[in-house]
Amino acid sequence: MRRQLRSRRAPSFPYSYRYRLDDPDEVNQNYLADEEEEAEEEARVTVVPKSEEEEEEEEKEEEEEEGKEEEEGQGQPTGNAWWQKLQIMNEYLWDPERRMFLARTGQSWSLILLVYFFFYASLAAVITLCMYTLFLTISPYIPTFTERVKPPGVMIRPFAHSLNFNFNVSEPDTWQHYVISLNGFLQGYNDSLQEEMNVDCPPGQYFIQDGNEDEDKKACQFKRSFLKNCSGLEDPTFGYSTGQPCILLKMNRVVGFRPELGDPVKVSCKVQRGDENDIRSISYYPESASFDLRYYPYYGKLTHVNYTSPLVAMHFTDVVKNQAVPVQCQLKGKGIINDVINDRFVGRVIFTLNIET
Amino acid sequence: MSQQTPEIYSVELSGTKDIVKTDKGDGKEKYRGLKNNCLERKKKNHKEEFQKELHLDDHKLSNRELEKKYGTDIITGLSSTRAAELLARDGPNSLTPPKQTPEIVKFLKQMVGGFSVLLWVGAFLCWIAFGIEYSSNKSASLNNVYLGSVLVLVVIFTGIFAYYQEAKSTNIMSSFKKMIPQQALVIRDSEKKTIPSEQLVVGDIVEVKGGDQIPADIRVLSSQGCRVDNSSLTGESEPQPRSSEFTHENPLETKNICFYSTTCLEASTCPVGTITGMVINTGDRTIIGHIASLASGVGNEKTPIAIEIEHFVHIVAGVAVSIGILFFIIAVSMNYRVLDSIIFLIGIIVANVPEGLLATVTVTLSLTAKRMAKKNCLVKNLEAVETLGSTSIICSDKTGTLTQNRMTVAHLWFDNQIFVADTSENHSNQVFDQSSRTWASLSKIITLCNRAEFKPGQENVPIMKKAVIGDASETALLKFSEVILGDVMEIRKRNRKVAEIPFNSTNKFQLSIHETDDPHDKRFLMVMKGAPERILEKCSTIMINGEEHPLDSTARACQVACMELGKMDERVLCFCHLYLPAHEFPETYKFDTDAMNFPTSNLCFVGLLSMIDPPRSTVPDAVTKCRSAGIKVIMVTGDHPITAKAIAKSVGIISANSETVEDIARRLSIAVEQVNKWDAKAAVVTGMELKDMSSEQVDEILANYQEIVFARTSPQQKLIIVEGCQRQDAVVAVTGDGVNDSPALKKADIGVAMGIAGSDAAKNAADMVLLDDNFASIVTGVEEGRLIFDNLKKTIAYTLTKNIAELCPFLIYIIVGLPLPIGTITILFIDLGTDIIPSIALAYEKAESDIMNRKPRHKKKDRLVNQPLAVYSYLHIGLMQALGAFLVYFTVYAQEGFLPRRLINLRVEWEKDYVNDLEDSYGQEWTRYQRAYLEWTGYTAFFVGILVQQIADLIIRKTRRNSIFQQGPFRNKVIWVGIASQIIIGLVLSYGLGSVTALSFTMLRAQYWFVAVPHAILIWVYDEVRKLFIRLYPGSWWDKNMYY
Repeated sequence: MRRQLRSRRAPSFPYSYRYRLDDPDEVNQNYLADEEEEAEEEARVTVVPKSEEEEEEEEKEEEEEEGKEEEEGQGQPTGNAWWQKLQIMNEYLWDPERRMFLARTGQSWSLILLVYFFFYASLAAVITLCMYTLFLTISPYIPTFTERVKPPGVMIRPFAHSLNFNFNVSEPDTWQHYVISLNGFLQGYNDSLQEEMNVDCPPGQYFIQDGNEDEDKKACQFKRSFLKNCSGLEDPTFGYSTGQPCILLKMNRVVGFRPELGDPVKVSCKVQRGDENDIRSISYYPESASFDLRYYPYYGKLTHVNYTSPLVAMHFTDVVKNQAVPVQCQLKGKGIINDVINDRFVGRVIFTLNIET
Repeated sequence: MSQQTPEIYSVELSGTKDIVKTDKGDGKEKYRGLKNNCLERKKKNHKEEFQKELHLDDHKLSNRELEKKYGTDIITGLSSTRAAELLARDGPNSLTPPKQTPEIVKFLKQMVGGFSVLLWVGAFLCWIAFGIEYSSNKSASLNNVYLGSVLVLVVIFTGIFAYYQEAKSTNIMSSFKKMIPQQALVIRDSEKKTIPSEQLVVGDIVEVKGGDQIPADIRVLSSQGCRVDNSSLTGESEPQPRSSEFTHENPLETKNICFYSTTCLEASTCPVGTITGMVINTGDRTIIGHIASLASGVGNEKTPIAIEIEHFVHIVAGVAVSIGILFFIIAVSMNYRVLDSIIFLIGIIVANVPEGLLATVTVTLSLTAKRMAKKNCLVKNLEAVETLGSTSIICSDKTGTLTQNRMTVAHLWFDNQIFVADTSENHSNQVFDQSSRTWASLSKIITLCNRAEFKPGQENVPIMKKAVIGDASETALLKFSEVILGDVMEIRKRNRKVAEIPFNSTNKFQLSIHETDDPHDKRFLMVMKGAPERILEKCSTIMINGEEHPLDSTARACQVACMELGKMDERVLCFCHLYLPAHEFPETYKFDTDAMNFPTSNLCFVGLLSMIDPPRSTVPDAVTKCRSAGIKVIMVTGDHPITAKAIAKSVGIISANSETVEDIARRLSIAVEQVNKWDAKAAVVTGMELKDMSSEQVDEILANYQEIVFARTSPQQKLIIVEGCQRQDAVVAVTGDGVNDSPALKKADIGVAMGIAGSDAAKNAADMVLLDDNFASIVTGVEEGRLIFDNLKKTIAYTLTKNIAELCPFLIYIIVGLPLPIGTITILFIDLGTDIIPSIALAYEKAESDIMNRKPRHKKKDRLVNQPLAVYSYLHIGLMQALGAFLVYFTVYAQEGFLPRRLINLRVEWEKDYVNDLEDSYGQEWTRYQRAYLEWTGYTAFFVGILVQQIADLIIRKTRRNSIFQQGPFRNKVIWVGIASQIIIGLVLSYGLGSVTALSFTMLRAQYWFVAVPHAILIWVYDEVRKLFIRLYPGSWWDKNMYY
């Protein structure tokens, strides 16, 4: 490429195709080529005015190149071609003659970086503006849509990566972590804390708090003591030491979710597959085995700061030992869906109990 | 140089003499020189191969010597046993097909070409990822297996598509095979037998009847009035007479050799022509075999567009691989699991590779090919569509391409004046003075002294297209008179012919005697036409303005006229007549043409006509267009220098004011050697001069003369010329029709064969066929080719843009840890779904400016995908698109409860299957499936974001320099079809297939479709500004960096 440009500059090199093409008779100029030439010339003027000697050097170098090409033409080893490619690459990376890095001079680089800086700065401004507009349209208190998170999902505690409860009653090491986990989880439900932070609201009805959405909302108490035998107050091992484990069930919070009036959501557990008699008895705490209506609706994290999710504890007081028992706990109630095929945590939860003695 | 004495009927004849003169004694050397040349260039071994036939000296041997040489007997032929031996030794008399790559190899090549390798890697990575996952967790999701299979399907489908396209271009050999005769009549064991011509061996004595094909290269032993049509081999359009005499050193020129596959014709004078000959070469050792192997030996050059696409693939693959590896390393060093890093890598590869683009390019090219086919350019090799656009040199054949390939009356001379006849294709516009009584006489002679006749049953065919029985000159005269005078047959009927002497080469005249159509005139009219010198010597008077004057001073004028016309290389015919006195030749007089019982001297000279093979009327215009498009048009012909130069001048290949060295020498009255050869702009180089030149000298000529005519060139020399042009970095188009052109056609970057006159071999070697044999069609091709190049740039720019928008999600996903914004399957739906039709629609875009007024692109400098294109697509529009799509994504997540701040570094928790109460910004808790569903909604949102902005991208890509309004936003309707298709596919995916979980599309709220619209408008405005600056400041920094 360079060679051709050169021959355009040096009309004393008469055998060039380019030269002939550039006859004054030729009306059309290849503007692309011209541009490139201009670019080169521009670069040259701005960077280093090239002396005659350098020009000669270039010519020499060119001759060398030609020589090489000829050699190649005669079918020299291919290593030569690689070497040449390497050289071209090298020259592309840093061309000492024209002081160009990646085929651009320092000036050209700074110009291009400047342009890109401004371009990206304005793009950043645009995206900032867009995001700002987005936040303007979105309330920080209440989500715009909640239909994806409804119907609510269900989770159990204790939970450590797995829904299989395997433990040996006589080996505290195998169940100790459940106890620690439950204790930790129930710290927020301590009676003293609840009484201090939250209000005791009338049961059996929604705890509706009108007013602006940015006003702080009060939360209803859910005391740890509601859980009776599963509160860990009387039996600090939550029954694990006797082979009667407590498992807490929690319905996922959904802003604005209200169960059907007068019909609180109930929990019922049974053996999922296999002999129904594997579980002979379950005690539920609170005894209604339901989530009281006063805990609904939920007004969102920002205003409903002290909201504590209501719980239902399942006390598996008599479960077949030494075998895995799959248990399914379902929510029951109007408007509750518990049979979504794809999502096994909507309205139900399945876990296995394998209590060894 | 110029012909002093115009000779009747054949420039060809005199031309041959020319050759005889100059060629005598050096016929051998000519080829030896070529051989040396070849040895210098070692690689070109195919030419050396070609040498073998040139050692042929059988035409010099006498019959006895031949018998001895081949161990045969002219009367009894070979014995069957001997023939069987020879057959075993030499192999069958058929052309060996070249070694072919097995179809399966071709197919597999398609499977690993282009982006396929990357996609294979992606697919295998998918399966490996699944394997790792499966080994640790038996319930691993099958998503990766699906993705891998989809990638493989994409590869296989694009591979099959490409393979199908390639397979369509037919095999060269098959066309040579078709030329080969099936049966041959051979004398063996003193018996005449018909055997399959494959079984012919050297030394066989064969008989060929008129109309048959010559079954092998044969030395003529005896011939009865036979001619052979060598046109397919040598390009000579007239049948060549064949006899047993040795007439020329050069085996190609001598009369006693007939070549394999040429057709034997009966001469018109002889009812049954037969040739008896001895087979001297069979199979691949024949001339046709050599040409066939030469043609199939010339490697198919990669087309410029193939090189460009390869370059583009390299760029994209380079970007994909380097970003992929970079982020693999980043991911690993960020303590991601290797499995996750592999999945990132897959995503990056899939996002980066424009899976649909290569198929789109193919479709685009075939659309153009269809469009060109409508304009009489049939494109065989799809990639050749563009090649014509980048063509910088056209090597054009003369006969049939530039000229009409039929003799036509060009000038008339009578009443001491030269008149010009209309030589255009339909003769509609004859302007010369037809009122003179001399014309009346002349026209009568033209009509009557002519044996040519129209074939019956062509009443509705235009005169110029009617088929005629008769030779070229007579046909020309017949049509000429039919156009001017009307029904010639009727005139002939009224003037009953009573006697006739047909033309023969010794007489050099033709004579017939007719009754006149005037019932009162009982005289016979004798009409005669012939070569000027013959006719003039038979004439004593001349008719001027209908009156007879003694032929003395006017004779000179006549000769001058002849010379004038001769200089223009026109065939001159003179016409004279004589009314035979009624008393000497009464009505019952018996004319005897053998005894010549009538006078053939002291006739009355009436006038003369000159004929040429005129250039097609569209050619000069086309040549001018090529010139203004920066394309050099070189004439390469097998014809004579004078004819070639005359035609070159008349069509503008040599422009009116440029001179050759010889012209300058004549003007300055100095010897040719004294002229500075670089003063001349034009050059006429003959094959004889060419054979002595080194390749450097050829280069010099090609580089230094703007206007070049190569005359009397052989197939090998055509190849040399093409190679010379290619050494200049030029993209060379070659036009041709004969078998002898096929090597050059194949060697050229684009071979253009003639559809009507072209032989099958030429058509098969070519990449393009001109259905109307018209050079002007090439110009159309150039225009279409340039347009498609520009439009492909647009298509590629359009396609590349969204790759960044597809890539960014993965990078952000790795670095910032957002839930994945777009899935790999979704990307495939964009690449292979919504974007396909719009990118094809760009092929319908009209040119922005006059593309025929710029120079052809330089094949090494003006790349299809250049730096500005990649930078602008990736770093400008692509980035803007990514931002717009992210905005839609953030909007969806924020409105569902996950504000952007919450999303940062959420990825790990988000993707944990056992976390079913993940809290969002509002304190709500999400199960894993609910999150997944939201993630798919995010995919759909991102998809819609890209889709909406791709509409803007499509609109801005309509032009590269002009504003959309200058181009006309509604001129290209297909673009709007594309946009509609994009939206419809998007709607179907979101609302129709939203419930199919494997596709991970969900029903998106309608308002999210409009979130990215402001960004789309921004993209459009930004590009309009870019174009505005480019138009305002051409050549500026902006122009250089932003114009792609």
